Amino acid sequence: MGLFTLATDIPWLSLIWLSMAVPAVIIALIPHQHKEAMRWVGAVFAFASLVLSLLVFLAYEPGRAGFQFVERLNWMPQLGISYQLGVDGISLPMILLNGIVISTGALMSWNIDTRVKEYWVLLLLLTTGVYGVFVSLDLFLFFVFYELAVLPMYLLIGIWGSTRKEYGAMKLTLFLMAGSALVIIGMLALYFGSGLRTFDMIVLAQNVTLAGNVQRIFFPMLFLGFAVLAGMFPFHTWSPTGHVAAPTAVSMLHAGVLMKLGSYGCLRAAMWLMPAGANTWLPVVAGLALLNVVYGATIAMAQRDAKYIIGYSSVSHMGLVMLALAAGTQLALMGAVLQMFAHGVMTALFFSVVGRMIYERAHTRQLPELGGLYKVMPFATIMFIIAGLSSMGMPGLAGFWSEFIIFLGVWERYPLVAVIAVLSIPITGAYILRAVWAVFFDEVKNPELLKLPKLTWQEYTGATILVLILIGVGLYPAILTELIDVGVRPIVAQLEGITLAGR
Amino acid sequence: MFQITDIPRLLPEILLLVLALLVLGSDIFEKWGRTQEAQLERVRSSASLTAIGLGLIFFIALVQSGYIPFTVVPETAAPNFFINIVRNLQAGGPVGEPITGAFATDHLTMISRLTLIGAALLTSLLCLDYRPTAHPAEFYALILFATLGMCLMAGATELIIAYLAIELTSIPLYILAGYFRNDMRSSEAGMKYFLFGALSSGILLYGMSLTYGFTASALAGNSLGNNLTEFAQIASLARIADNQGILTLGMIFMIAGLGYKLAVVPFHGWSPDVYQGAPTPITAFVSTASKMAGFILLLRLLTTAFPGLTGTAVWGELSGWTSALALLAVLTLIVGNLAALPQTNAKRLLAWSSVAQAGFVLLAFVAWAAPQTFDRDQGTVALLYYLIVYTLTNLGAFGALAAVSMAVGGDEIADLNGLARRNLGLAVLMAICVLSLAGIPPLAGFFAKFYVFMVSWQSGAEWLVVIAVLTTVISLYYYLRLLKAMFMEPPAAETPVTAPPGITAAVVIAAAGLIILGLFPNLILGILSQVQTVAGF
Repeated sequence: MGLFTLATDIPWLSLIWLSMAVPAVIIALIPHQHKEAMRWVGAVFAFASLVLSLLVFLAYEPGRAGFQFVERLNWMPQLGISYQLGVDGISLPMILLNGIVISTGALMSWNIDTRVKEYWVLLLLLTTGVYGVFVSLDLFLFFVFYELAVLPMYLLIGIWGSTRKEYGAMKLTLFLMAGSALVIIGMLALYFGSGLRTFDMIVLAQNVTLAGNVQRIFFPMLFLGFAVLAGMFPFHTWSPTGHVAAPTAVSMLHAGVLMKLGSYGCLRAAMWLMPAGANTWLPVVAGLALLNVVYGATIAMAQRDAKYIIGYSSVSHMGLVMLALAAGTQLALMGAVLQMFAHGVMTALFFSVVGRMIYERAHTRQLPELGGLYKVMPFATIMFIIAGLSSMGMPGLAGFWSEFIIFLGVWERYPLVAVIAVLSIPITGAYILRAVWAVFFDEVKNPELLKLPKLTWQEYTGATILVLILIGVGLYPAILTELIDVGVRPIVAQLEGITLAGR
Repeated sequence: MFQITDIPRLLPEILLLVLALLVLGSDIFEKWGRTQEAQLERVRSSASLTAIGLGLIFFIALVQSGYIPFTVVPETAAPNFFINIVRNLQAGGPVGEPITGAFATDHLTMISRLTLIGAALLTSLLCLDYRPTAHPAEFYALILFATLGMCLMAGATELIIAYLAIELTSIPLYILAGYFRNDMRSSEAGMKYFLFGALSSGILLYGMSLTYGFTASALAGNSLGNNLTEFAQIASLARIADNQGILTLGMIFMIAGLGYKLAVVPFHGWSPDVYQGAPTPITAFVSTASKMAGFILLLRLLTTAFPGLTGTAVWGELSGWTSALALLAVLTLIVGNLAALPQTNAKRLLAWSSVAQAGFVLLAFVAWAAPQTFDRDQGTVALLYYLIVYTLTNLGAFGALAAVSMAVGGDEIADLNGLARRNLGLAVLMAICVLSLAGIPPLAGFFAKFYVFMVSWQSGAEWLVVIAVLTTVISLYYYLRLLKAMFMEPPAAETPVTAPPGITAAVVIAAAGLIILGLFPNLILGILSQVQTVAGF
């Protein structure tokens, strides 16, 4: 926004990821009986990272496009690997999103009572990785953070998860690691194929010297490697299983932020650095993403487990993001980034209601066993409905803008695909309303449910923050779109084969 | 000609020999009793003498190498007692022609020595609290003799020295593997190791004799020199003489013979049984130090004796030893990783993982096919970095496993169950080592793998890198199983597992090394890149 300027001699972006890495170390040193202290350290630092992200967000000047707050240190200069950070209009909303999700996720983690220390250390390590990916401008560094974000997930799900947790954890990790194997191959192709011998993304993007046919071979690998994490059909199956198995805060981070790492990687690494390959392959991606959108929504209709519904709804919504990436126009990419943000907040809200407020009390998420919860937790009902409305694209909520812009953008490139994709909206409406009815308003099937304990202050605070953001962005989307608009321009230019002067 | 001034250049080897004899001799002065305590005391004193001695030798070698900036004395410094010592030491540092053409003391040797002595030091720490044995001094002295042999292997530039060094390494290791005579598995391990080792020595010798036959006949009529077995001489004769077929055959036999020592598929048959049966610290030692020495010897042999047969590993134009090693690498990666999948014994799983790791090391050799010297040197640096990291990692992993099996009484994966609740620290240390083996950043194992992929890709062997990258995904499954057992499974008993201080120290050093080298590879990359000034051909 460029509201104020931050001191330039402070490494703000490093501070952001350090604000997650440092408390991980602190918590590791706290004696294990002080559980409350660990929670407070984790939550306070999570909010500190949110504040830092907000500062950077507000101080970024959209008028002066390109990367700002750039930091650069030599890491392995002889190999062209450097520690290079910077943010632009695409990464800023993502950083902010991560700050929002981790701070509310920290509030929703208060009830974790077994092996508290390990939980918080892993959760914070995961977030360190996510922040790191969004701020790094060196492909190698990017990958290091990327892996750091994936691996803690295995233990987090496997130890603190529910339903088929070990299976879900292993499946998720293997899928994602197979994705990163493909990413490594793509990285090496970029490094050697370009002849530049550097992993500096700005340099690689400025002179795309990679031959067109080489790009066409390796673009699918790089793109697919990241798209696995974004849940692209047919490699999405890990995602609902993983979401369902994970503990609440991890589901929130996972669906809310981690899947965005995938689409962010697709955009930032694959499409930006291999535009010729992208132009060839994006129609295929569009086809697959369309399947995601419609198939994901249809499968969500048929689920009985509330978390599975949200899991498949994530597949469907991330499909919209991938569809927009495949369209590759200015509008579509803008919609994609906005959708990543909107879906992140919305799905975090969904999981905090279903995973934390309902499941932790009722110990079931099966729709036929729930019902009438409106009487016990009206707050949760309202939260769920608002998230649902955003997911259906109700005007006035963040989801409306992102989906609207995506459909506009996709129409420009693939009108027929856009028409089919719009089908997902009524289906989404149907499964959300079905879930709302079955969980909150249907007759009370189990009288025990009426005696559930009250919500805690952490749950109220967390959910309220998320809802306010959904509404805030819904009412004034320009707070993000202005930035995103500037951010995606170079990529669109790259795809159209024009290199903007002076970038 | 051997000169008196060459003695300081052999200082680490000489000191190792002296220490070995000292350890053997000092045991005589211990109190020999039949009680458990008396035996433990003998173990302790031999082990601590070994550990302290190795520590000193490591330090001396480090000063001698001049790799640590503040140990380098400026030319202008006024001489005093310490400065004179340091100057004299460093006069024997990594410089000069090979001694009598048989033993090079270049940077490659120096770096290998430091790693090997370091590995022996960590191994002796692992043995500090290991089961008391009947004659502890032998045990430690054998470790030292083997280390001496490995150092000689790393520096050998001549066939006879190379062979003698290999035997000096192997024979103590055979005995060590079968050291627990009352344990069926240990005896089996010793026997198997010996039989396979003897066979491989035969194959190696056959290759050497073929090579000697080639050089001798190439010089037929004007045979003056006694240097026909020197690597450099083989290379220079290969350039002028025909009848290359016999030379190629000799090289293939030598690769096969060394392949047995390195447990490269298809010469790996012995290794899972031996690794599983041997005492765990010895398994750690065999799987790291002896492999490191073997790989260094292989590198020196292939690059200085057979530069003309380098060939290329580019798909479609496979030729020379780079493609032979590339094919071995593919086999090793696939078989090693697939065979590790169904294992239920943690030690055996790590044994198969060590087999698979050798495949990644072979990738670095392929870099030698690159046309530019710069890229070949990168290959050497990647190789050394990988070996150093792998040494640390495997010592750490086997060390942690040794601690668990001492406390729990077994080394099945099930014995690791719930380790995180019984000893969180040990579980985390082991997890660090295992994840580094799997190549997860920011641990050093990741950069090591990545670097090896880079140099291999650079030489044109993209197909090989793609296969290798995909096998890392397979390997992740079994590494995660170890993690799952430690962190997710319920413990068999609630009693805490305690790790002895010696093992803890070794594993902590290894894990700290992995984190530091992973975050700042440049700490040693600069040192490793000095190798290029000598290793060229």
